[in-house]
Amino acid sequence: MGEKPVWEQIGSSFIQLYYQLFYNDRTQLGAIYIDASCLMWEGQQFQGKAATGEKLFSFPFQKIQHSITAQDHQATPDSCIISMVAGQLKADEDRIMGFHQMFLLKNINDAWVCTNDMFRLALHNFG
Amino acid sequence: MGDQPIWEQIRSSLIQHYYQLFDNDRPQLDTMSIDASCLTWEGQQFQGKAAIAGKLSSLLFQKIQHSLMAQDHQPTPDSCIISMVVGQLTADEDPIMRFHQMFLLKNINDAWVCTNAVFRLALHDFG
Repeated sequence: MGEKPVWEQIGSSFIQLYYQLFYNDRTQLGAIYIDASCLMWEGQQFQGKAATGEKLFSFPFQKIQHSITAQDHQATPDSCIISMVAGQLKADEDRIMGFHQMFLLKNINDAWVCTNDMFRLALHNFG
Repeated sequence: MGDQPIWEQIRSSLIQHYYQLFDNDRPQLDTMSIDASCLTWEGQQFQGKAAIAGKLSSLLFQKIQHSLMAQDHQPTPDSCIISMVVGQLTADEDPIMRFHQMFLLKNINDAWVCTNAVFRLALHDFG
């Protein structure tokens, strides 16, 4: 006993691949989106494979490293997988910042693609 | 200008409704879940209406107030609405804490219900 549910396995493999690509070769990220995909980046919306790929490729930093502190995965009634990630990132020599991101994954023609992606930096101070 | 997309109208009222219930009448949150609903609360999974209601009613505070700092919403290919919320909460006399939460909302028999929800406190500081 102790094997993770399949949606958790798929979700965590996707997360690992996503951030590895983000670090090593952002141009490869386009492959995980489809024309129906929708990305929200800090409140700005990007629709479709081309616009999403362009946004991800347009960042000014050379290198970025993500470190995941928490990830949660669930199966949805429409047989998708929803994943929520919290972590820290460091772009080039900038300071470490917190972020959270959410993905909706769908199986289309035997491949898991990302149909919805939302990213926010944890910029809001409190107290 | 013009009409807001329908799903934007729906989401403003749904998310607002959720937190209003949470802050003012937590047992009523039950109306937003169904037997297929799944809640992950700080990494613990609760499946189905009863388990979710059980978890939400077992939370120890008397009073809680949520304040939303950012919310992102997108339609999904299966005609659901996916939302990511970042905010602060105060429970009783405890210090203000940041949280993030994700919802997947589905229209079933003309009513919007929450099929998936993930909640995490933002306990991990950065910098």
